[in-house]
Amino acid sequence: MKMKLILAVVLVVALLAGCATTPAPAPAAPATPAQDAPAQDAPEAPPTDGEVFRVAYIARAQADAFAAWLANAVLEEAANYPNIEVTVFDGQASDSVVNTHIENAIVNQFDVIIVQPHNGEAQRPFVEQAVAAGIHTITTNARIDGIPGSSSVDADPFEQAAVNARVAIDQIPEGANVVVLNGPPGNFHADERRRAWQAEFFDARPDVTIVGEQIANWNIDEAMSFMEDWMIANDRIDAIISMNDNMALGALEAVRGTAFEGLLAYGVDGTAEAVLSIQAGEMTQTTLQSAYDLAELLLQTSYRLLMGLDTEIHVDVGNPIVTIDNVEDFIELHRRAGAIS
Amino acid sequence: MEAKAIMQTVLKRYNIYLVLLLLFIVATILNPNFLTAANMTNVARQLAVTTILAFGATILIIGGMLDLSAGSVLALSGVVAAQVFVDTQSLFLSMFSGILVGMACNFVNAVMVASFRAPPFIATLAMMTMARGAALLYTNGQNVLQLGRFSEFGQGSDPFFGIPYPIIYLFVLFLLTWYLLRHTRFGRSIYAIGGNEEAARASGINVVQSKYMAYLINGAFVGIAGVLFMSRINVGQPNGAIGYEFHALTAAIIGGTSFSGGIGTAAGTLAGAFIVGFLNNIMNLTGVSSFIQQIVRGAIIALAVIYDIWMKNRKTKSVLGSIENKDGSDKGTNRTIENGTTTDTDSGTKIDT
Repeated sequence: MKMKLILAVVLVVALLAGCATTPAPAPAAPATPAQDAPAQDAPEAPPTDGEVFRVAYIARAQADAFAAWLANAVLEEAANYPNIEVTVFDGQASDSVVNTHIENAIVNQFDVIIVQPHNGEAQRPFVEQAVAAGIHTITTNARIDGIPGSSSVDADPFEQAAVNARVAIDQIPEGANVVVLNGPPGNFHADERRRAWQAEFFDARPDVTIVGEQIANWNIDEAMSFMEDWMIANDRIDAIISMNDNMALGALEAVRGTAFEGLLAYGVDGTAEAVLSIQAGEMTQTTLQSAYDLAELLLQTSYRLLMGLDTEIHVDVGNPIVTIDNVEDFIELHRRAGAIS
Repeated sequence: MEAKAIMQTVLKRYNIYLVLLLLFIVATILNPNFLTAANMTNVARQLAVTTILAFGATILIIGGMLDLSAGSVLALSGVVAAQVFVDTQSLFLSMFSGILVGMACNFVNAVMVASFRAPPFIATLAMMTMARGAALLYTNGQNVLQLGRFSEFGQGSDPFFGIPYPIIYLFVLFLLTWYLLRHTRFGRSIYAIGGNEEAARASGINVVQSKYMAYLINGAFVGIAGVLFMSRINVGQPNGAIGYEFHALTAAIIGGTSFSGGIGTAAGTLAGAFIVGFLNNIMNLTGVSSFIQQIVRGAIIALAVIYDIWMKNRKTKSVLGSIENKDGSDKGTNRTIENGTTTDTDSGTKIDT
């Protein structure tokens, strides 16, 4: 009986605490006067009679470092729009959870629904439902193509890898041995990046041998174990070709302090860890997939749709290469965001 | 006849080690790089984190419990330890805080399982979600960077023999698990509780206390694993080690730990972990594709479970047969056979194998 009482008290306290912090986890954008802090490229705001628009941002998975970075960047950017209030929902790396959030956002009549899909095809019918319900819908990282009435903001994953591959053609030596680390099969970005390396590099360089290729699921620890095994199996590895920074960094951790140190390493994303590694002379280069740029475009797109300035928008962010020559600029970018102290 | 009986006993008793030996021989033949000191060190270092988790899991499973929160608690312990190091530059404090967080989470698990009698599966599933959320909240979803000397835990070696620290931790915790299970009252209690909790309680064993102990030990192991994991990858990753609890369970099950409780050894779990490790290693060395690797890993688990059930059924039949032969009749005792365990329904006693 005593136990039940304690349990009941704990549950009530937890519920009250939960209510006190609703809506979690995203704080609404503070009401900053537009004239004080407008977004750098934000369109001029037409009068809205103090109306606040509600935007549901459905993140693929807050446990995914890039997704978390993007969600935080969206919240930061939203602070520049006094008439837009963003609420973040965590898709928990699950199609059903992401789809449930979309359904709930439709029922709760959000003005804009931004979806970062976990699996584009699984989310397609739900995004179509949102469009049919007359809600402005934006898909991002990666976009879901071919939904009339739905907008999109993305980076081109093929181009992200292709810019790296084009530079690597001149950097990777003749007759080189390389290893390739892939993202989850079926993932649009993983597949497109690998396709870019094939089209832009491997097809042009038949002299290069792939001595190891595995799926490390974007994970640093899996990539590290694969690289340790490849170093046992091969006398020489000249380059690590990775479909994201995380896996490239895992492979580089394995290489540290061994005879393989100093090999070339290519990634994509431009994460804080990767730019620090480039600065330290370990990683060769990466392509920035800037969460800040995506967030800025997402809020701009939301704003233009809400104001009726456009009915459908499709835009891509750029793919700047990060190398030892320009790494300081990107370190400063991450420093401003608090990712690097 | 006697030689056959001896052979059968050896096969039964040491089957897991024979499988390990067979795999070792096959791998050595398949790839000349397999049997090198560098590769053996490599495999042991790669296995350290999951095997340490598996030792904790073994203790719990033997006692009829489970921990599905291990991967998430590992991540929470690891990021806290990494952040403590960044803030204090103290290796001792970072390791201490990692262990403390692991134990605190498992104390909550123990409260739910031992005091509230919640099913371990549900209770630790809840902790799995809470701990992952706490890790993300603590780091705001971002990695903890610039760890400096913190990486020594996972990447350093002892100055005398050059043995990597993760392997030393692995060996020390193996000895500790073996000692706890084989030579302490706590170990005997855990086997008894897993065999038949009611009988253990009736015989005077403090079941609640033993369960608390088991979860706290598991928590300390998870905390150490968290520190090793984050220091090995040189980043405090709140989203790291997803699914590691299942890697640990796999090692324990392949190593002969029975999910129905009461059966398992530290050495078996170590062998189970190395079977998985050698298998992964040889598949990577020979360039087997990821898709086939997943099929092989799944098949190995299925075979281990089927073998476990088959062996228990055989042993149950043999125990019943010997009882009947001895007494000439069943003397009116009522027995049921369920999941490979024979239960005397009059006394509630399990004849476990």
